[in-house]
Amino acid sequence: MNDESAQRMPRPDPRAPRGRVLDAHLHLLDRQVLDRDGTPVTTIDDLELDGIELGARIEPGSPAPSVAAILTGPQLLMRIFGGHAPAARRISIPWKLVASVGTTVRLGVGADSLDASWVERWVSRHIIGRIPGGRHDPE
Amino acid sequence: MKKLFAVALGILTAIGGFVDIGDLVTNAVVGSRFGLGLAWVVLVGVVGICVYAQMSGRVAAVSGRATFEIIRERLGPRAGLANLAASFLINLLTVTAEIGGVALALQLATSVDPMWWIPVAAFGVWIVIWRARFDLLENVTGLLGLTLIVFAVALFMLSPDWGSLADQALRPGPPADEPVATYWFYAIALFGAAMTPYEVFFFSSGAIEEKWTEKDLAKSRLNVLVGFPLGGLLSIAIAGCAAVVLLPASIDVTSLSQVVLPVAEAGGKVALSFAIVGILAATFGAALETTLSSGYTLAQYFGWSWGKFRRPARAARFHLAMIVCILVAVAILATGVDPILVTEYSVVFSAVALPLTYLPILIIANDREYMGDKVNGRGMNLVGTIYLVIILVAATAAIPLLIVTGAGA
Repeated sequence: MNDESAQRMPRPDPRAPRGRVLDAHLHLLDRQVLDRDGTPVTTIDDLELDGIELGARIEPGSPAPSVAAILTGPQLLMRIFGGHAPAARRISIPWKLVASVGTTVRLGVGADSLDASWVERWVSRHIIGRIPGGRHDPE
Repeated sequence: MKKLFAVALGILTAIGGFVDIGDLVTNAVVGSRFGLGLAWVVLVGVVGICVYAQMSGRVAAVSGRATFEIIRERLGPRAGLANLAASFLINLLTVTAEIGGVALALQLATSVDPMWWIPVAAFGVWIVIWRARFDLLENVTGLLGLTLIVFAVALFMLSPDWGSLADQALRPGPPADEPVATYWFYAIALFGAAMTPYEVFFFSSGAIEEKWTEKDLAKSRLNVLVGFPLGGLLSIAIAGCAAVVLLPASIDVTSLSQVVLPVAEAGGKVALSFAIVGILAATFGAALETTLSSGYTLAQYFGWSWGKFRRPARAARFHLAMIVCILVAVAILATGVDPILVTEYSVVFSAVALPLTYLPILIIANDREYMGDKVNGRGMNLVGTIYLVIILVAATAAIPLLIVTGAGA
């Protein structure tokens, strides 16, 4: 977060964030994620945070954590029923692919390029796409 | 001219689309037992569905977000999932009732056992969802459903004693020979039939299917405010027909043939065939809407790609979910359960589920992040809150009354 402009323009309260403040719980979790073309990809089931250890005490003055990725898939069950998924089993969308955050979260890439949409692709290829008419526009 | 045509088409389809198997059966049952003594419930229900359908359409058009996406966002994953489970199961019950209704209507037309018609009806519903454009399926079933006006015509042809009908309608309350609990049980069933939650899922998702913007809001409001009340009048006409013919002869409504009996008595075979076409279109249209609603709710909760404006392969899980729902409905009907009974339960459980849908809509319609300056006005919030109280009372009372009255026996 510390880029040049912040150093050039000192603010009254150095801890106050610049720009629009997003509450992760209110503005990110459970929001719809759309791809570059506006196709729904998933809902934000959970977030992966960097710079913070689970269960560790947070020392005053330590740097703020940052959002590393959007988590989906089995992570939804973890949030509802508790527990942890091993990192290898997580389905994530790196936060750097996010283009904008509004009432939906827009990605800068197409859904088909993401691991997170493999179930959709599998169902499309093996079931729905094989039924006659499945690849045509409705009439 | 083209604009006028579009408005007229919208209103007409709203009238034809208002009535489904729940309204048909519940109104006929109520008419045959209480006359027009519960007509006031239809009026209360119609105003309620107008208020909330219009509100959910506005939310969808302004924010571009459909109802269940918002329900999950506002309630979180856990309460959202509980809401999804309840709404989805009750909707599945309604899908079953509607597909059964199509089979019963086909039985009326052909005298072939409905068991044979169930797979045909289910396939018909699926193929239309699979291939037909959204506006096409809306307009065709809505317009054909208008033939249900034959119930209103039949009521006039029966030349009833209007004074006593008006007397029944204006002096509500349980008749001397029926217990009070039964009266209120049917009041709630009728309320659930008029306000079925799937209408809201369908209406808000339909707004996104048809890519509404704020400019379309005036048109949609007109469709709702004119179309639904006229649809409600149609419901009352069905109850009225039953009140005039079935009530004096103390005929119980246990199948669709009793529902259409007054029409046949008034207008013979011609009127009867209109009624059958109307029932077929109304149940088929509602089967499409409820099946789509089951896909919409699931897809919107989980964030899947959905919508009829996409090719099925571009909304694969959405279409797969609907196929599974139709198959489950067929499996339920294949056990030989009476579709009329499924319908009666589905409207009562709809009443139970009403707050799950309507409360989140009222909250979001007041959220400036989504709605900007198009949030609810004070009057709308007042009406919305009053209805929320009515809905909560009906939802709480529904199950106890179901048990106490033995499902209205």
